[in-house]
Amino acid sequence: MSVTGAREEALASGPGAAPASGAPIRQSNLWKDAWGRYVRNKAAAIAGAVFVVVLLYCLIAPFASPHDPDAVNFALASQTPSLEHPFGTDKFGRDLFTRTALGGRVSMLIGFGATLAILLVGVIYGAISGFIGGRVDNGLMRFLDALYGLPYLPFAIITLAIIGRTNTWTMMIALSIASWFTTARIVRGQVLTLKENDYVRAAKAVGARWYRILGRHLLPNTLGVLIIAIFLELPGVILGEAFLSFIGLGISPPDASWGAMAQEGRTVFRSHPTAIIVPSVAIATLVLCANFVADGLRDALDPRTRET
Amino acid sequence: MPLLEVNDLHTHFFTREGVVRAVDGISFSLEKGKTLGIVGESGCGKSVTALSIMGLIPKPPAKIVSGSVIYDGQDLTKLPERKLEDVRGREIAMIFQDPMTSLNPTLTLGIQITETIRRHYDVPKAQARKKAIELLDEVRIPRASERLDDYPHRFSGGMRQRVMIAIALSCDPKLLIADEPTTALDVTVQASVLDLLDDLKAEHDMGMILITHDMGVVAESADDIIVMYAGQVVEQASTLDLFDRPEHPYTEALLGALPQIEGEGIREGRLTAIPGRPPDLIDPPKACRFAPRCPYVGSDSCAEHMPELRELRKGHWVRSAHPSTERAGVRQPDRAPA
Amino acid sequence: MLKFIVRRVFWTIPVLLVVIFLTFIMMRQIGGNPFRQSERAVPEAVQRNLEAKFHVNDPWYQQYAYYVKGVFTFDLGPSLVVRGRDVNDIVKTHFPKSIELGVYAFLFALVLGVPLGMIAALRHNTWVDYSAMFVSNVFHAVPSFLVATLLIYFVALKAGWVPTSGWTSWEHKILPSIALGFGPMALFARLVRGTMLETLQQDYVRTARAKGLRYRRVVGLHVLRNSLIPVVTAAGPLLGFIITGSFVIELIFNIPGIGQNYVDSISNRDYSVVMGLTVLLSVIVILANLVVDILYGILDPRTRDARS
Repeated sequence: MSVTGAREEALASGPGAAPASGAPIRQSNLWKDAWGRYVRNKAAAIAGAVFVVVLLYCLIAPFASPHDPDAVNFALASQTPSLEHPFGTDKFGRDLFTRTALGGRVSMLIGFGATLAILLVGVIYGAISGFIGGRVDNGLMRFLDALYGLPYLPFAIITLAIIGRTNTWTMMIALSIASWFTTARIVRGQVLTLKENDYVRAAKAVGARWYRILGRHLLPNTLGVLIIAIFLELPGVILGEAFLSFIGLGISPPDASWGAMAQEGRTVFRSHPTAIIVPSVAIATLVLCANFVADGLRDALDPRTRET
Repeated sequence: MPLLEVNDLHTHFFTREGVVRAVDGISFSLEKGKTLGIVGESGCGKSVTALSIMGLIPKPPAKIVSGSVIYDGQDLTKLPERKLEDVRGREIAMIFQDPMTSLNPTLTLGIQITETIRRHYDVPKAQARKKAIELLDEVRIPRASERLDDYPHRFSGGMRQRVMIAIALSCDPKLLIADEPTTALDVTVQASVLDLLDDLKAEHDMGMILITHDMGVVAESADDIIVMYAGQVVEQASTLDLFDRPEHPYTEALLGALPQIEGEGIREGRLTAIPGRPPDLIDPPKACRFAPRCPYVGSDSCAEHMPELRELRKGHWVRSAHPSTERAGVRQPDRAPA
Repeated sequence: MLKFIVRRVFWTIPVLLVVIFLTFIMMRQIGGNPFRQSERAVPEAVQRNLEAKFHVNDPWYQQYAYYVKGVFTFDLGPSLVVRGRDVNDIVKTHFPKSIELGVYAFLFALVLGVPLGMIAALRHNTWVDYSAMFVSNVFHAVPSFLVATLLIYFVALKAGWVPTSGWTSWEHKILPSIALGFGPMALFARLVRGTMLETLQQDYVRTARAKGLRYRRVVGLHVLRNSLIPVVTAAGPLLGFIITGSFVIELIFNIPGIGQNYVDSISNRDYSVVMGLTVLLSVIVILANLVVDILYGILDPRTRDARS
C-alpha cells in the first residue's frame, strides 16, 4: 500500500483493529527507527536527559563534596540552602546535598535491583506460562490471580519481617517479590500473541527446538515491551521503598535512602521543611522522568504507529 | 433537478509532513433513483470523497478547500455542524466497509437502530422498536423481533452489514452512500448484500453512490461510473459506455483489456496488477499522475502537463493524452459489456 | 448475566483460601511462639492453657483449618500481645476510619480525574490537553507524603484553613483525602484520556456520527461507555493502592486507622493481629476485583459470553 493510501485510510477510518505486532521486525531498522522517534519526542528526550543527570549526580557528588555526610554537627543543624550547602542541612547538621546523592545511590540501587529481579522472575514465569499454554497456563494464571489479592505494601512488609533484617538487599528482595505479577502477565500476553504467528509456526514446522523458538523468536520481540516494563516498574519500586522507609520499616540509619531521609525530615518539617522536601522532590523527579521515558519508549516502539 | 451535485471538490489533509491532496477536483451529478459507482484502488480518494459529502472528514487535519456539494438546494460544505447533523441519517445515509468494527459492541442492535429513528423523528420508544423490527425484516434478518436486543458480536459479518443497511434506511434517506459495502465479506455473501441493496434502492426510490475497487460490483449495480486515480477523476461515463469502450489506460488495465499485460479479453471485474504505485499525494507531479505506470506514455506532453478532463464523446469524459480512440495502431476489438 | 456473576463469585473463594494460606505460611516463618516471647511473665500452667486454646502446638494444617474457620465466622482471634483485646476489637475501632479515608480518596480521584481526562481528550493537542497531562504526570509521580506535607504546610499551617491532624470533623477529613487521592486522580485522568482518544478513532463512532446523532450523544454514550471499560479495570488495583497508601497518610495526619496498628504489630510479633489485618485487607482487595470484574461484564457484553 502506498504511503498516501495508508495515511488516507488511517485518517479516514482510524486504527480500530489490533496492532500488527505479529509482523516480523527487521531488527536493525527497529532500533534505529525507535531511537529517532524517541528523541523527537521532546518530553521524553528531556526526561531521559534529566534521568541521566540525576544518575550522575548520585554517583559523583559524594566524591566531589567537601562535606562528610555522616558528620553530626548540631551547630549547623537545619539550615536553609546556601552556597556552602546547596540543599541546606538536616536536623543533625549534615549536608543535604551530599546525603541526597548518597541516598539516591541507595534508592536507585534498590530500584534497579528490584526491577531487574522483577523482570527476571516475571519473564520466566510469564514466558513459561504463555509458551506452554493450556492447563499449565491456566493454573499458573489463577495462582497469579490469587497473588494479586495480596496487597502490595503489607506483602512487602511481611516479607521483610520474615527475612528479619532491613538492608538494601532485603528491601530489593521484598519489593520485587511483591510486584513481579504485572510483568509476568504482560510477558505471558506477549508470548501468547507471538506464539500464534506464522513465522513461529514456520519455525516449528522445520523442527526448531522449543528453546530456540523461545530465545530466537519470541523473546527478542518481547524486548521492546520489557524495556518499557523496566521504566514502568521502576517508579513503583522506588515509591514502595520510600513508603516503607517512611513508615520506619526501611533502611536504618545512618545509611539512608530518600525515603528514610524524608522520614527523618518529617519530625522537623514545620520549622524546617527543606529536610523533607528535598528527598521527596528527588523521588518525584526520578519517578516523573521514568514515567516520561516509559511513555516515550512506548510511542517509539509501538508497531501500530510505525508507518512504512 | 439532480439529487446531489458535486462541483470541483478539493479535499486536502494538512499534516506535519505536508499537504496531502487527497481529492483534487471531482464533479458529478446524481439523479434520483440512479446509482453512481466510484472505482479506484486504495488511496485514490474515493472514500474521502464520500466522507467529504457527509462532512465526516476529520476536521483538524482535513479540510474541504474548494468546491461545493449541493443537496436539496443547499451547499453542504457551508453548513454548520448542527445543520449537517440533521441531514446525516435523515436525508443522506452512509454504510461503511467493515461491519465488524462499524457497530458499537457494547450497545444492543435495538438501541443502535432506534436511536437513529428517535433522533430524527419524535416517536415513542415502542413505535421506534416496531419500526426497527420491520427494518430488520426488510433486510432479511431472520427472527428479527427476538434478535433486536442482541449484541453485534453475536452476528456474522454478512448479517452485521445488513443491520448497517437497516440502520441506514431507518429514516428513509433519499441518498445512500455505500463505501466498499462488500469488501470485508465473503464472496458468497457479497452477492446477496448487493442484491439487497439493489432491491431496497428500487423500493425506496433512493439515489445511491457505490464505492468499490471491484469492477465487477459496479458492472452489476451502477448506472454511471467514475474512475479515480491519485485523487483525480480519470474517466467518467455511463456503465454501458465505459465497458463498451474504455478510454483511459488505467480503466483498460482495470478491465484487463490492455494487450500487453494479458492477452485475454475482459476478465470479470478482477483487478489486474499494474506494475508501479500511485504517486505521493503530498507533492504530486505537475504532469499526468498516471504517467509513470502508463504503457502509452510518450516523450511528449504526459511528462510535463496535466491532461485536462475532456468530454471525448457525449457523456464520456477522460483525463488522458492517450485515450484509446486516439491511439494509432493498436486496434481495440469491439466488446459487449460483461 | 446472573450466571456470569455467580461464576465470578464462585471463583473468588479458592483465591481467598490461597491468600489466607499464603499469609498463614508467611506468618509462621516470622516464627517463634509469641507467648513465650512476650515480656509479661506468664505462669507455666496458664501458658499451657493458652497454648492449648490457641492450638499453638497443633500441626500446621490443623492450625490453618482453625484459622480459616475463624475467618469465615468473623473470628480473627485474640491479639497475642495486648492482653484482653481481640483482633476483632482492633478492627472495629480502627478499620472503619481507614476505609472511610480510602473511600473519600477514591471518590475524589474519580470525580476530578475522569472529567479531567475527558476534557483533555476532547481538546486533544491543545494547551488544555498539554497542561492537564503535565499536571497529571506530576501528581502521579509525586509521593503522597510530599503532597501531604506540602498541603499541611500551606493550607493548614500557613493559611490555617483546616486543622493539621486528627479525624473527627469534616474539616479534618479534607486534606488527607486529597493527599491520598492525588495520585489515583492523575492515573484516572491519564487513563481516561488515553482510552477516549482511542475510542474516538473507532469506526463505530464514525457510524454514530453518520447517523446524524448529536455530538453530545455520540460522546456521552458511545464514546464514554467504551472508554470507561479500561478505567474500571484499573480501578480494582487502584483500590489496593489506596488502601496501602493510606498507611503513610494516616501516619502524617495522625489518623487512628489501622496503619499504625499494623506497623506496631509487626515489630511486636503480634502475629494474629498482623495476619488478621492482612487477611482483611486481602479480602477487600479481592472483593474490589470481583466488583470490578462484574462491572466489566456489565459494560462490555462480549466478556459475558467469552469467559471460561
